[in-house]
Amino acid sequence: MTKSIFVDTTICTACRGCQVSCKQWHDLPAEKTKNVGSHQNPQDLSFMTYKLVRMREEIIDNHLQWLFFPDQCRHCVDAPCLATAFNEDAIYQDPATGAILYTQVTKKLAADEIIGSCPYNIPRKAEDGTLAKCDMCNDRVHNGLKPACVTTCPTGAMNFGDREEMLAMAKSRLATVKAKFPKAMLLNPDEVNVIYLVAFDPKYYSDYAVASSGRGGISRSVALRKMMGPLAKMMRV
Amino acid sequence: MKLNRRDFIKISGATAAGIAVSGLGFDLKPVKAHAGMLKTRYAKETTSICCYCAVGCGLIVHTSNRGDGRVINIEGDPDHVINQGALCSKGSSIKQLTENKNRLTEPMYRAPHSDHWQKVSWDWALSQITDRIKRTRDANFETANAKGQTVNRTTRMASVGSAAMDNEECWVYQALMRSLGLVYIEHQARI
Repeated sequence: MTKSIFVDTTICTACRGCQVSCKQWHDLPAEKTKNVGSHQNPQDLSFMTYKLVRMREEIIDNHLQWLFFPDQCRHCVDAPCLATAFNEDAIYQDPATGAILYTQVTKKLAADEIIGSCPYNIPRKAEDGTLAKCDMCNDRVHNGLKPACVTTCPTGAMNFGDREEMLAMAKSRLATVKAKFPKAMLLNPDEVNVIYLVAFDPKYYSDYAVASSGRGGISRSVALRKMMGPLAKMMRV
Repeated sequence: MKLNRRDFIKISGATAAGIAVSGLGFDLKPVKAHAGMLKTRYAKETTSICCYCAVGCGLIVHTSNRGDGRVINIEGDPDHVINQGALCSKGSSIKQLTENKNRLTEPMYRAPHSDHWQKVSWDWALSQITDRIKRTRDANFETANAKGQTVNRTTRMASVGSAAMDNEECWVYQALMRSLGLVYIEHQARI
């Protein structure tokens, strides 16, 4: 059974423990940043920042809301980046956990095409063109540990477990949260393995909180390639 | 994982079959080490306490078992009663206390009115500190206040810090400061 992460943004305090423990576990260097008047730091994901707590100040129904969104790869059930790459040495899905994994071979791919295919705008390229993003701490998961970000979350906003279990938890939390936030919703729960619960319209949280119609998804040529995939693979071997 | 001979034959048989089949052009999942090995697999585990605030979260410190014994990883201790594995952003970064190339490893001194720091020896630094404390204290020690009440204090020195001291160190430090007669003693956890 594949694994999922459930992120309840209604109880996230933006302590950024997840962001830092992700860096810590993956031995990633710090970003050089400057003060732009927001506590969000750095301003965007990068080749060496897989997880970022986005912070926005929005006026919703005449109330100022400070919204927190711990952004990361959604590990799509049917990932457009994987289909677009069409190279299992570069991007593949671990059948045991459902994690979408990038290897060093991503260097050979058309990086911008892969980034453009992501409905959530997640992958980032290094100077040499290698792509990187969250790997759901697949090494930890296979060894019986939770991902670093989930382990460290002090409020319980981040949860990890079997997909069915996380979907059930997400639905039950949604029902509870609806009493206080009638517009609360889950973001693409049937399509992703990192399921977010938000209290307001997702557009307030991040430009790509929810799969946007304007970008990503599978283009016609990719769909065709996908359809022909099994046949092509047989030919290749 | 313990394997007996029978299991071993079963597994190697399956692998051989897998390779044979994939050679015939069937679509098998790519043979990849999904998991890899945990970087903490052969590390020594030690428990510790986060030094940053008064909450006192438990830590597991993974140190290398070979060579220099440096820190590989530090994360929240799931068995600790206070944090149950959780850590905030500051606690999560605690490895940097030891593993950071920008970390100071020698005492630094900036003379009054100087615009730069210079490296000094521990002996020099410690004797300078004790010397200045003693001189300031002795020159400004009050045994009694204006009303004639015994106070035995000095108001010309203050202590601020430190965020990096744990509870037990704070106790020793507090005892030391009080014995010198300091009354202005502040700690980061209270600010």
